[in-house]
Amino acid sequence: MTNPSDPQPLGQTQSQSQSSVAETLEYRSLSGLHELDEACAQDNSIKPQWGYLLNSLRDLGSEVLREREQKARRILRDDGATYNIYGREPAPSSNWELDPVPYIIDSEDWGGIEAGLLERAELFNLVLRDLYGPRTLLRHGALPPEALFSHGGFLRACQGIQLPGEHELILHAVDMVRQRGGNMCVLSDRTQAPSGAGYVLENRTVMSRVFPSLFRDSHVHRLASFYQRLRLKLSSLSASEEEPLIVVLTPGGQNETYFEHAHLANYLGYPLVQSGDLLVRNGFLWMKSLDGLKRVDVVLRRVDDIFCDPVELRSDSLLGVPGLLEVVRTRQVVIANPLGSGVLENPTLLKYLPQISKHLLGRELRLDSVKTYWCGDEQDLQFVTANIRELIIKPTYRGSAIKSVWGGDLSEEQVNQLLATIHKKPHQFVAQVRLEKSYTPAFSEGKLEPRPTLLRTFSVATDKSYMVLPGGLTRISTHTHGQVISMQSGSPSKDTWVTATEPERTIVFETTPEISRATKDSALLSLPSRVVENLYWMGRYAERAEASLRLLRTVFVLLNGEDPISPDARRILLQTVTQITVTLPGFIDASDELLASPEEELLLIILDDNRVGSIKSTLNAMLSSADESKELLSTDTIRVINDLRDALDELDFTLAGGLTSAPEEALDPLVTGLAALSGLMQESMIRGVGWRFMELGKRIERSRQIINSVRSLMIPVTEESTQSTLLTALLISMEVMITYRRRGRVRRGIELGLELVMLDDSNPRSLLFQLERLQQLLVKLPQTDTTVGELEEEERALLEATTSLKLSRLSRLLETTSDKRDDMENLLHQLDKLLDDFNRFISDKHFDHRTDPQQLVTTFWDGQ
Amino acid sequence: MLYRIRHITHYKYAQRVTRCYNLANVVPRNTEHQMCLKSLVTFSPEPAKARKRTDYFGNKTYNFEIQKPHTELIITAVSDVQINNDTRELDLDLGVSYGDALNYLRQTMNQETIEAREFLLNSPMIESNEALKEYARPSFHIDHSLNSCVSDLTTRIFNDFSYDSNFTTIATPLSDVLEHKRGVCQDFAHLQIGCLRAMGIPARYVSGYIETLPKPGETKLVGADATHAWIAYFCPHEGWVEFDPTNNKQANSQHIVTAFGRDYLDVTPVKGVIFGGGESPRLEVSVDVSRLKE
Repeated sequence: MTNPSDPQPLGQTQSQSQSSVAETLEYRSLSGLHELDEACAQDNSIKPQWGYLLNSLRDLGSEVLREREQKARRILRDDGATYNIYGREPAPSSNWELDPVPYIIDSEDWGGIEAGLLERAELFNLVLRDLYGPRTLLRHGALPPEALFSHGGFLRACQGIQLPGEHELILHAVDMVRQRGGNMCVLSDRTQAPSGAGYVLENRTVMSRVFPSLFRDSHVHRLASFYQRLRLKLSSLSASEEEPLIVVLTPGGQNETYFEHAHLANYLGYPLVQSGDLLVRNGFLWMKSLDGLKRVDVVLRRVDDIFCDPVELRSDSLLGVPGLLEVVRTRQVVIANPLGSGVLENPTLLKYLPQISKHLLGRELRLDSVKTYWCGDEQDLQFVTANIRELIIKPTYRGSAIKSVWGGDLSEEQVNQLLATIHKKPHQFVAQVRLEKSYTPAFSEGKLEPRPTLLRTFSVATDKSYMVLPGGLTRISTHTHGQVISMQSGSPSKDTWVTATEPERTIVFETTPEISRATKDSALLSLPSRVVENLYWMGRYAERAEASLRLLRTVFVLLNGEDPISPDARRILLQTVTQITVTLPGFIDASDELLASPEEELLLIILDDNRVGSIKSTLNAMLSSADESKELLSTDTIRVINDLRDALDELDFTLAGGLTSAPEEALDPLVTGLAALSGLMQESMIRGVGWRFMELGKRIERSRQIINSVRSLMIPVTEESTQSTLLTALLISMEVMITYRRRGRVRRGIELGLELVMLDDSNPRSLLFQLERLQQLLVKLPQTDTTVGELEEEERALLEATTSLKLSRLSRLLETTSDKRDDMENLLHQLDKLLDDFNRFISDKHFDHRTDPQQLVTTFWDGQ
Repeated sequence: MLYRIRHITHYKYAQRVTRCYNLANVVPRNTEHQMCLKSLVTFSPEPAKARKRTDYFGNKTYNFEIQKPHTELIITAVSDVQINNDTRELDLDLGVSYGDALNYLRQTMNQETIEAREFLLNSPMIESNEALKEYARPSFHIDHSLNSCVSDLTTRIFNDFSYDSNFTTIATPLSDVLEHKRGVCQDFAHLQIGCLRAMGIPARYVSGYIETLPKPGETKLVGADATHAWIAYFCPHEGWVEFDPTNNKQANSQHIVTAFGRDYLDVTPVKGVIFGGGESPRLEVSVDVSRLKE
């Protein structure tokens, strides 16, 4: 009964691994570093909290663990889990790396960490309120004024903004490492738009699927309540009496953590929006949706605050919404974390934290922070100058152009340069000691090895206090002796298991039912119209790619076929390739040499990404539309899209030798992928607004491809054998060759072919079929106007096209008075124009045509 | 002295603006020396939403959005301002010395001084540097009164620099102004602020108006006045003292303050974002400062 793809029960694999010659999976700490090892004790025994995990892994054996790792990788890939590493060519997205060995923290240990984090979140909340309010910290000498006033994250325009409720700081993330002796030490606080909480969810989902029994028997604390708290808190921030509209604001698909934005938005059930989806009008914030503007009550932002409003903050930002800050001031919308909260990421605060804490909380914090020197302090500056090689130098503001560096890595000259920069702007720099990190076991090349480890935790404000996510995002360095741990340097992640010694009490919160796909689809109208527009383009590009591929395949087969084809046929076929892919000039007006050896041009039409209309560029456009509407695609669809992406990457290799041998074979995986995508659209997508627009895009594109193919292949009047070749090309690329042959027992020839391609409404690839389908779709689109009787412009255009086609007579279309079929040309021209109008009316009505704002006053000084 | 100030900002666009979001700093704030008795700001076309608030620096700021398509934007601000007969023109040469002022700033932790330290730091448009320090240094002596040092600097800027409204734009960097010794009031103010900060004295930008009197026998033209800019420096025990480098004088009852800030960017009269409008909007500003009978 077991489905082979299901994770297998632990017992079964155990016996399997015993029968094979399994490598033993023993874990040992690095010699001399026992004190820093999380899992291994002084006498090389495994510490109790790691015992169950490491024993189980050993029993599984390295071969099985490797399989599980592969399985995890597949799930991550199918979920589309990526982390974009800037500047890495050619692929903009990299797969999310997850080590199959979780980081174990036992409940008691966690209790201490949690208490420290709650206290720290409370303190940072008070600091935020003070810095944008009375600034008593400055008056009481707890923080030097320059430390605040010189920081790029201190946004003066945000003075006085207050959120409803007890807390200003809604989300607080902390990066920390464990020290000798077992205490955690904080490296930095993330208070702007902390990333990671979405990846944590994904890691957990994958781990619990790949290691179901291990996970179950380890009594791991569940994560869901944290996200429920986040939802409750965000809802409570809304000023509206009704069900609030909460959106997640992302910078867009190019952002490094876009996957997580989409994942989190999906999990929380909020629309994912970008700058252009929002606008300020009459003092409120609105989201553009298909049925008009919807008022937004709360924004969970993943855009840094300085970019959120080009009117009052960074004026060159295209990621924000003009006028947003004023809506925030008048409390008509709430943004979490509030604008200005980046001020808390100033590492100078770490130096003064003891006195800040005494002033605001009346005591010092129990959680240590890394020793920090502020160059704005004279003594610290002297110390830093003398010891720069033993310190990490960091700009106080993360938006700064300078990145943090380890002094030990610098040359003499670089040290002098850096010191000169520091002395010029001492307020802008801190130095920190480099902390030793503790080691946790990681799976690498069939073995377990110790890796330096960094933990990011997350806290969310609740009514009266904070709640800490029981777990976190653990990251490890890329090798045992690696010191740098960052996502940008490709560090793998781990799931973090806070393990209970006894079964966890299940706490029941006011439950918000998980939103099913069906109800979400009915709420599609409230999605940003951009998402739906992207589905439309996804449909169009997919169809365009498919039509181009089918035609190319057909042309390859005919050109290389057993029967030689006439020069005329050759020319027209190649020109049709140019027409269908719209890669002009191509073979139009081509020289005889080019027509005689078209391989190079054909190869470019497939592979040249920079050429609009090439297979690669069309598919890339399709993939990026898919990325933009990812939250609406099923897991299966995402899997197919990933397959297409892989097939596209492979194309360069399979065609590396040119088009010499059966080039059509190389295109097959792409055609199959697109067919699978098209099948999924038909079979597993709910017939909601999203589907309708995707289908609309597909039908419009297919209509135009049919028109263009018939135009290019059938209008010229040619001799018998050429005619026959061209008809064959049309029928094969339109997938109706078999029907043609079957029906052809009675009659044959161009008239039958044309009937199949244009007028046969039982053929799903005929033009009439497309037009009738479009009509069915049109009545179901959301209508803004409720005029009765008179037809809308787009209905008119479509009706005229359908009627003209239906009234046409095949015999007249085929009449040959000159070197071309004039009636056919006229009809196709008319249909083409009507479809063009139809498309324009639809897009004017339903899609947003965004214009970028410009500044009234232009200055140079924004890059401060 | 009682003044009525009419300040009209008129933007003309090459193409239709479909909507806009703006900030205006066009109404005089209250200061130690002046009181804005009443003010009326009107916008054309009518905004969908307009609100007056007090900004971080205590200035009066209007936020407004217009949702009607338009090709012209007109902001008219009329304000009545009472200027106290103050003691500003008294000689302050006996005040605190430059050296004592530096020590005071380092050691004093009262609120006024802590807040003043914000104006020692670089700001978006003013980065103090060695060149500015070099230029300023001859005016500063440890044992001279701070006020006489600043006054000397003011006079030197007035003498060394020529007023040239064609040389600079809002985007001209300070180093160009210093090199070519040319500019307008806003450049001179930025320059002097940069010098003062380089010498360790907090300084801020002041925007406002200055009353211009017609030559004897001529009548004053309406709209002949302009927006003006000068500086204020922080003097221990005295507070903020204003100097006008363009006119080589300490600010007096003919200077009407609109707003304070770290530099022009904090107090820009009208700024914001427009949708549409085509290229390079044309701007006309007209200011009229007239005396009212008290």
